[in-house]
Amino acid sequence: MSEIQPLFEVRNITKHFGGLQAVSDVNFTVMSGEILGLIGPNGAGKSTVFNLISGFYPPSSGNVIFKGEDITGRKAHKITELGISRAFQEVTLFMKLSVSENVLSGFHLYYRQGAWKSFLHTPAAKNEENQAKKEVLEILQFMGLSAVKDQLAQNLPHGHQKILGVCIALATHPTLLLLDEPLTGMHPEETEEMMRVIRQIRERGVTIILVEHNINAVMRLCDRIVVLNQGRKIAEGLPQEIRNHKEVIEAYLGTDDDEEDA
Amino acid sequence: MMNRKTVIGIATVLVVLAILPLIVTSPYHMHLIIMTCINVMLGLSFSLLYSTGMLSIAAGSFWGIGAYASALFVMKLDLSFWVALPLSALVALLAAVILGTVITRTSGIAFMIQTLVLSMIMPEIFGNLEIFGGWAGLLGIPAPNPLGPITFLRKIPFYYLAIILLLLNILVFQALYFSRVGRAWRAIRLNPNLATMLGINLYRYRLLAFMISSASAGLAGSLYAHYFQSLEPGMFGAFKGINVQIFSILGGLNFYILGPVIGSAIMTFVPELLRVSKEIEPILTGGLLIFLVIFLPGGILSLGEFMSSIPEIFQKKKRTVREGEGEYE
Repeated sequence: MSEIQPLFEVRNITKHFGGLQAVSDVNFTVMSGEILGLIGPNGAGKSTVFNLISGFYPPSSGNVIFKGEDITGRKAHKITELGISRAFQEVTLFMKLSVSENVLSGFHLYYRQGAWKSFLHTPAAKNEENQAKKEVLEILQFMGLSAVKDQLAQNLPHGHQKILGVCIALATHPTLLLLDEPLTGMHPEETEEMMRVIRQIRERGVTIILVEHNINAVMRLCDRIVVLNQGRKIAEGLPQEIRNHKEVIEAYLGTDDDEEDA
Repeated sequence: MMNRKTVIGIATVLVVLAILPLIVTSPYHMHLIIMTCINVMLGLSFSLLYSTGMLSIAAGSFWGIGAYASALFVMKLDLSFWVALPLSALVALLAAVILGTVITRTSGIAFMIQTLVLSMIMPEIFGNLEIFGGWAGLLGIPAPNPLGPITFLRKIPFYYLAIILLLLNILVFQALYFSRVGRAWRAIRLNPNLATMLGINLYRYRLLAFMISSASAGLAGSLYAHYFQSLEPGMFGAFKGINVQIFSILGGLNFYILGPVIGSAIMTFVPELLRVSKEIEPILTGGLLIFLVIFLPGGILSLGEFMSSIPEIFQKKKRTVREGEGEYE
């Protein structure tokens, strides 16, 4: 009789920095297997919402619920442990390490053999290590980076660096993946490649929340869209609903008065 | 796993270390070699913390904690040196847990300043408390108890003891760097934000590094106390901490094992062989630190890389000159 429970839910979440209300009273849910787009003009509070979800800072009020459990205010590394992972807006990699080492670093939580065994290099630990390395190759293959696996991260072109950021996030074996502007600074070919990759990740059963400025891409990629403006949710719905939503158009293009001025 | 070159290299080093006392006959030079071993252990402890991105000036403090603890265990509690040696490492480790729960919550400059303060407080504690012998220090610390036929009356047994402890230390650290603990440390140094996102508990891993690093400094302290057989508080201050830092920087910060080995050897031998007086030494080491930071930030071990980049530097210069000429035309 009960409805299907959402995988993830944000309830009345609010964050203020001193007097500045960055996010106020935002609600949304994400169903398992969905791609949810989070859009809004600059300063709408999208990145703040991501920081609140991923535990980089606690919300001033409201709740974050994941798999039916209240995870509000947990530390960032705990949130990753629960299965929420994040690819950052700025390219955030271990620049001086190779591509495969970058991804291997993401396997920190994966190990079941104790640190002592790893320290003593026991057969079980070695075995696990080899298994992890195999999975790294598999992720790189899947994401289309296996050709550059031995290159230093700093030597990759921007598009590949962004994809590598997603690879690292995937290495933590997330249930929910937060992508913060994955298409920023990409040329059209790279954008297509990234969109293909994102769809593939979803096909593997990973739920995705996406913050993005490229509205066109968001419309094509997302199942549902939540629109924020000045820290508040102003609309939620299917892409075609959002496209024609009056308030959304106003938020992006300014009000009618502004248009007359222009 | 290891290739043949490495195996041969390691074997050669071990053989040389084993027969060194036959080659070096002067007790004075033997003394310098033993001091180098102790200093390398301190350098290693500094580099271990650096591998997590933390710069510590407190190596000298934990060295002192280990030294005083060991001396007191033997002198007041009549324990054997062989019991006091691991116990003093344990004392340094416990001190690191207590202090670390506060100071490893910070990183960067804040952490460094706290270790600096710690390194300034420790000599005051040693100097002002009666149990540590006050500012006069502790005298007449007994040599290690004989091990069967081996007595610690001459330099050579100390040399072998120092080498064995040092090699153990290197072995443990090397295994750590190649384990997932070492990988987590590296992730924290390279990018703390990303490391957190990967599920690494920064505080826990920093504290672990602080504990291990301090234990190794404490072990070196115990060895030093029973080798030198007297302690005085002034030795364990900030100057020692900065000196240890220079060992690692001079050798090469990115070479966690070889860097301290080379840096400590140079910093122990050169001032002694130049017969510089103790008053002038700080000026030399300070000058050296400034020189290193400006001209050789990668340390001596990075020289190979640096040499191969020299032609490039010249080419760049020429090009800029040409561009400059172009402007005038």
